[in-house]
Amino acid sequence: MSFGSEITRRGVRGILVVPAVGLSLLLGSSIALGGSGLTEAYIHVPMPPGFRVVLTDLDGPVFADSSGKTLYDWPRRSLRNGPTGDNKDESECSSTKATVDSGLMSPYPAGLLAPDLDQRPSCTQAWPPARAAANAKPVDNWTIITRKDGIRQWAYAGYALYTSALDRQGGEVLGGSSRRSGGDGPVVRKPVGPPPDVPPGFGVVSTALGRLLVANNGFSVYVSDHDDPGHSNCDALCAETWTPILAPDLSRPRGQWSIIQRVGGVRQWAFMRKPLYLYVEDHSEVHSLKGSDVPGWHNVYTQLTPSPPKGFTAQDTTSGQTLADSHGMTIYVYSCGDDTTDQLGCDYPSETQAYRLAMCGGGDPVRCRWTFPYVLAPKNVRGGSRAAWSAIDIDPMTGRFAQPNQPAALHVWAYRGRPVYTFAGDKRPGDINADGHGEFGGRREGYRAFWLRDDYYAGND
Amino acid sequence: MDTIRFAAVGVALVALSLGASATQAADYVPPGGRIAYALDSLHWAIYQPKDGFVNKQECPDGVNIGPRAQFEALFPDKAHRTVVGTRLRYESDVWFPTAAPDQFVFHEGSGPIASGMNLDGKIGPNDFTSPEGEKGIDNQLYRVLGCIASYRPDDNANDYFDNDEINTDNYNRILIELTGVESLMNSPHVEVTVYRGLESLMASATGSGFVAGGTQQIDTRWGRKYIQHFQGKIIDGVLTTEPHDFVFPWATLGNPADEFMHAARFQLKLTPTAAEGLIGGYTDIETWYLQTNEEESTHHQGYGELSAPSLYKAFRRLADAYPDPKTGANTAISSALRAQFVQVFILHPENPALEASSAMPPIPYAGSPSYPRTPEQARLEQPAQITSENHR
Repeated sequence: MSFGSEITRRGVRGILVVPAVGLSLLLGSSIALGGSGLTEAYIHVPMPPGFRVVLTDLDGPVFADSSGKTLYDWPRRSLRNGPTGDNKDESECSSTKATVDSGLMSPYPAGLLAPDLDQRPSCTQAWPPARAAANAKPVDNWTIITRKDGIRQWAYAGYALYTSALDRQGGEVLGGSSRRSGGDGPVVRKPVGPPPDVPPGFGVVSTALGRLLVANNGFSVYVSDHDDPGHSNCDALCAETWTPILAPDLSRPRGQWSIIQRVGGVRQWAFMRKPLYLYVEDHSEVHSLKGSDVPGWHNVYTQLTPSPPKGFTAQDTTSGQTLADSHGMTIYVYSCGDDTTDQLGCDYPSETQAYRLAMCGGGDPVRCRWTFPYVLAPKNVRGGSRAAWSAIDIDPMTGRFAQPNQPAALHVWAYRGRPVYTFAGDKRPGDINADGHGEFGGRREGYRAFWLRDDYYAGND
Repeated sequence: MDTIRFAAVGVALVALSLGASATQAADYVPPGGRIAYALDSLHWAIYQPKDGFVNKQECPDGVNIGPRAQFEALFPDKAHRTVVGTRLRYESDVWFPTAAPDQFVFHEGSGPIASGMNLDGKIGPNDFTSPEGEKGIDNQLYRVLGCIASYRPDDNANDYFDNDEINTDNYNRILIELTGVESLMNSPHVEVTVYRGLESLMASATGSGFVAGGTQQIDTRWGRKYIQHFQGKIIDGVLTTEPHDFVFPWATLGNPADEFMHAARFQLKLTPTAAEGLIGGYTDIETWYLQTNEEESTHHQGYGELSAPSLYKAFRRLADAYPDPKTGANTAISSALRAQFVQVFILHPENPALEASSAMPPIPYAGSPSYPRTPEQARLEQPAQITSENHR
């Protein structure tokens, strides 16, 4: 039980790993993102003039416009009653304000008037198209589409590109996340970036802890403390549990990737000179952290997420480990996408709070504060990375950002710019009673536990 | 990885194959007096006679309406519907329900017959008679669920989803291990330990069921909360345990959740390869309601005409046990589950300490947190003093 433990950082010879025991939110103390320069390597792809790659704390390398703002796409996906989003070479995001629910999500019918219409942006106000100059030319995967309003817009891999009105500076990804989505959640915008610099057969996925290295079947990749740099000490017996990841004959070393020789001349992939393995106990689980429970074995991350502020802890539950407050009480995040065809967000403090107020208190902000209390930040903590953890001022009666020097404003912790909460219905550490409190288990709009590790439902993805 | 008792497993496998191939308890003596089973089927015990779906005795006025029909009735003015005034108002009622009178007629399960157990040892005016003729059956949950289509047997929505994920979702891998077994026919004292297992069940070749003899490791980390002990006995091949509070995992659509029964007891017919029967007790209504709503959204509840706000009111009307010391309102309801288990071998960790029960005993969910209410709000949230047409 890790109740009360402080979250710390640790690293092993340059490879970012999650130690086996205790707190699982562990990011190397000797490695600071942006400080040591150990951020995710990516493949340099051709880009049109003015675009660049920005390294973000949460989503790795992403494409950005000339001002450094992250670029997002919005691929079409089907919901319960029909699809929305962009088809290739088209944009469905218009300057006409969507005012009613589309009825794409069951069971509620189409035509319900959306809340806070006077403050509601149009799709293009929330998601400004990445405009292409009149003389711009396609470059490699970068193409130009002509929108229905006649404006030329950049697209990548066929999908129209946008910036987010929520992002104010380079490296922010407040508009959307590359973490897992789908199912009954909204059709979300995701940051677009260059492919990670990994050999064929590997991939990188965004998780709560960082950018996790996986095999192409989604299974986690592990390294061992028992190995020497460039040499595997995992013998035949060991290899029954830890399957060496073999390098095909035609594969060649590249960048941080090398190939070591096992007994008998068998070639095995190594990352930053550490031989790589799969764990046989990862039966059907993808993105598993189970192997890191075995002493001396670790998951591998190409980069790690910033640590939560001091005082947050990790807590064992019935499904895995959640972020918790200093008393061990589970931390929750609220996420929301509306049911208009635009699928606009409704969880950021500058967006409508009508959905959240219904879920936390039946529309009563006083009850909301009682039911889902904000997590207060020390008065002397200001700002933050915005992309990950920050301290913000909230008007608790509206849920929106407070005005400067507003009386009764609360100074609270936020993740990705959105406040985090505890739940009054949790009575002791390990309770996760509000995980799924909301529509479609909280995936459409509602509260979900801040999962650091979820062995059953991949909530940390 | 923990070293496991392969030797014991080997002995057990041999014993099973040579000495207990029949599925009768007979005089089967499990090796070391120890036998384990994994839950592979679980349904709330809703009585349904063989002659039809909605029988004149059970639901003489038909089944209840669900969220779609209630939405149309609550908000008939289609031209002026708003998200806040309709959808979010309905969802608020789902997540912050009250015991105020229901504006919709609620049909309760009725008739003289219901499955279940005589939990209090008495024969009361609200009790049922079991299909086998036993009187004094306590199952007020049948009145709540009996006329909701979703919970009628034969794979209606919730009945199907709830059961399906018992055997497909490893979060719900409930194991029971009997120790001190002198024979599966008669043993004066056995201990029943509940664990959560880590492995999938071993499916039959046709995929239509599960076969005995699979192995299960114990979840000693995330599953510590579920390690619980019951005392019992076996008479004429039937295991009966003493009442004990029981928490168990029951997730259905991807959110971890629990059920909680006060004074639960097992009543299972045992064979060397399977166990089958009832789990009875007083189900905590707030935990039940939370589990249902977090697992199945209003959309999913609509499949089976389940209205969460009406369901909650019925729970509060019909709850019959464990009164709140402050308000006097009952917090639990008599109930029963139909359960089937398949025999498995448990591979215990080398370190017995890993199997130690949780230091913190399980507690039921206390319900939507109370907060300062106005006198008018408090009055409205008192248990309704009305009964519907079928409530006796």
